[in-house]
Amino acid sequence: MSFREKSAWITLVTVLVCFGAYYGAVLSGAVSRGFATVHLLAICVAALVGLQIVLHAVAARLSPREAQAPRDEREALIQARSHTVGYYVLMVMVLLLALPVHFGHPPGDLLNFALLDVVVATLAVSGAQIVMFRRGL
Amino acid sequence: MTPPIANQIRRLRFEHGEMTQSDLAERIGMTRQTIAAIEAGKYSPSLEAAFRISRVFEVGVEDVFQWAG
Repeated sequence: MSFREKSAWITLVTVLVCFGAYYGAVLSGAVSRGFATVHLLAICVAALVGLQIVLHAVAARLSPREAQAPRDEREALIQARSHTVGYYVLMVMVLLLALPVHFGHPPGDLLNFALLDVVVATLAVSGAQIVMFRRGL
Repeated sequence: MTPPIANQIRRLRFEHGEMTQSDLAERIGMTRQTIAAIEAGKYSPSLEAAFRISRVFEVGVEDVFQWAG
């Protein structure tokens, strides 16, 4: 597995874990609305950044030459195509934001829906990269 | 969809001292995984990469890649 594919897996798993925990806590009502949600979000984002740094450092240590080398043409193409996938997913998700607005959700909930759009788009980018690395272009 | 381009990279590697995919990748500035994808017909390289590969084996591009459509 190339360093770039490992990086895609790291992003996919860490985003799933950190934002899965965040949305799990929010949906279960384990945190009260308002500042408690913002604090939990800050913790989840910090955990995400920390996990990504540590896991990428481990991956880079396992294959230092690949980690330092620039993307080759196939990796650059995979990156470009996966971001195109992510763009369309984000567009659809942003348009779907009209639904919670229509049903009169409070602003705090709308922020969570907007954040979910970014999370899903990030997962779509990483997922698309993994599929393209695995199955070819 | 698999591109309709056949290649002789595997044969050429073995005819050149059993050159590994990693060796070839290093010589043309690509990753081993990209060489493996080209060799398996899952990725069609750019014209520049095709020329780089053919120069490593000291043959023409048409001796490495053939249109198989």
